[in-house]
Amino acid sequence: MSASPKKVPLGVIAGARSGDKGGDANLGVWVRTDAQYEWLRAELTVERLKELLPEAGEVDRYELPNLRALNFVLHGLLGEGVASSTRFDPQAKALGEWLRSRHVEIPEDLR
Amino acid sequence: MIRVGNASGFYGDRFSAVREMLTGGELDVLTGDYLAELTMLILGRDRMKDAALGYARTFLRQLEQNLADALARGVKIVSNAGGVNPEGLAEAIDRLGLGAKVAYVTGDDVRDRFPESLTANAYLGAWGIAECLSAGADVVVTGRVTDASLVVGPAAAHFGWGREDFDALAGATVAGHVLECGAQATGGNYSFFTAIDATRPGFPIAEIEADGSSLITKHDGTGGAVTADTVTAQLLYEIGPPAYVGPDVVSHFDTIRLDPHERGVRISGVKGSPPPDTLKVCLTTLGGFRNSTTFVLTGLDVEAKADLVRRQVEAAIGPAELTWTLARTDHVDADTEETASALLHVTIKTADPQRAKAFARAGVELALASYPGFHVTAPPGDGTPFGVYRAAYVPRSSVPHRAVLPGGKVVEV
Repeated sequence: MSASPKKVPLGVIAGARSGDKGGDANLGVWVRTDAQYEWLRAELTVERLKELLPEAGEVDRYELPNLRALNFVLHGLLGEGVASSTRFDPQAKALGEWLRSRHVEIPEDLR
Repeated sequence: MIRVGNASGFYGDRFSAVREMLTGGELDVLTGDYLAELTMLILGRDRMKDAALGYARTFLRQLEQNLADALARGVKIVSNAGGVNPEGLAEAIDRLGLGAKVAYVTGDDVRDRFPESLTANAYLGAWGIAECLSAGADVVVTGRVTDASLVVGPAAAHFGWGREDFDALAGATVAGHVLECGAQATGGNYSFFTAIDATRPGFPIAEIEADGSSLITKHDGTGGAVTADTVTAQLLYEIGPPAYVGPDVVSHFDTIRLDPHERGVRISGVKGSPPPDTLKVCLTTLGGFRNSTTFVLTGLDVEAKADLVRRQVEAAIGPAELTWTLARTDHVDADTEETASALLHVTIKTADPQRAKAFARAGVELALASYPGFHVTAPPGDGTPFGVYRAAYVPRSSVPHRAVLPGGKVVEV
C-alpha cells in the first residue's frame, strides 16, 4: 500500500547539536546520505523549523552540503545570554534533541 | 606532523584528563580550554575579591600533579586558563618550582575602553602563543584567546607558517574547533550515542600536517568514538555563517572535507581568507541578583493551584521581575506520586539583593497557608548574582597583543 509517509521523529535519520552564543542559540542538524540531505534541505526551511520549534523567533539558515548539514541561528532565544536567561535550558543545550523528537513525514526509502 | 591533544573543554571538565592525555599515548602539545563567556564573569568576580586570582585554579592543581611528567615527556602545555590574570597564573606555575620555562600572552584586557564592564577581553589569535613556543616555552598560558588558537598557535610555530598562509591556518582552526570542547568530539553529548560506547569518551587529538590538514583521533584504548558523525556534531557546535571569522583567518566551513580513517577522521580541503581588521570583545557585567523556587503541584486542580500560589507570591512582593512557567509533568490517575505532579517554576531577576531575599521569604512563609499538598523541590536560598554578556568590536591595531617569554622578555605580536 502507498499512503502518505508515516510521521516519525526527525532524529530517526538526523543528528543535531545546539548551543549558545550570547543571547542567540545555534542549532546544527545533519544527516548521513546524499539523498537524506536533499530531503532535509527541501523539508527543513526556516518556516518549517518555526513550526516544529514554536519558541523560535528570527532565524537564519545556512547550508553546509559538504557536511550534509544545515545550521540555524535562532536570534534572541536566550535573552541577554546564558548568565541571565530565565529560559528553560538557558544555554540551548537540548534544543537539538527537542527538534530530533519532533515528528515529520520522512519518505520510507530514506529511513 | 604535530600531535596536539585537548584535556579540557571548560572550567570544571574532567580533572584527570591531563594525566590521561599525558600517559595514554604519544603527544607533542597538550591544550586546554577553560574560558566560556560565563567563566569570564566568574573569574572577574574572583579578581574583584583578590587581585592575585582571576585564573582557573583547577588548571594550576592539574599542573602541580602532572607538569613534571609533561616536562619529562617533552610535551608542551598550552592553555587559556589564565582567564583575566594570565600573569598571575604564570607566576603561580613558576612557584611550583619544577623548573619549567613558562610564558604568557597578554593584552586582551580592554576594560579601559569599556569601563562599565566587569570584564572586557578581546579575542586574541594564535601568534602570541606561537612566539612563546618558538622561544622555547614549556608552558604557555593566555587570557582570552579564541579557543581554536590554542591549537593553531602550536601548529603555526611548529611548521613556521606565515600570517598569510590562510589555508593552513584555516585547516588548523577547524582542527582547533573540533578539539576545543573536549569529549564533545569523541562521542560525548552525541545524538547517536546508542550506537557507540559513550560511557567514558577519551579526549581528542589532532595530528596536524604542514598544509593544515589533520587526522582527528584519540588515544588507543579510550572510550567513545571518532567518526565522521561525532566530528560533524562538534563542527556544528556554536557556529554561525559558514565563513567562520577568527582573529587570524576566516575559515570556510563549507569547504571542509571529512574522510573516515582507520584511526579516526581526516580533515582536509579547508579554505581560508584574510581576517577582518577588528577583534571581537567579550563584555560581561553584573546584571543583578537571581533567585528561583519550584513548587510541586500534585494531583487535582493543577491550574488552580498554580494560580493560587502565584497570587500569593505576587501579593507578598509584587509581580515585577518574576518569570513563571508551569511544566505539566503530571499524568491523570497516575500510579506514582511523582508522575502525578506538575512543577511550577518561578524566577526573580532584580537589581536589589534585598528583593531577591524577600522572594525566598515569601515562598517559605506559604508553607502552611497555600494549596493542598504544598511543597517545594528545594528551599530557596538568598539568591545569586547573575551576569549579562555582550559582544563588541575594536580595531585590531588598538589591542596590545603581547607575548611575555620565559625570562620576561616582552614581544609585541
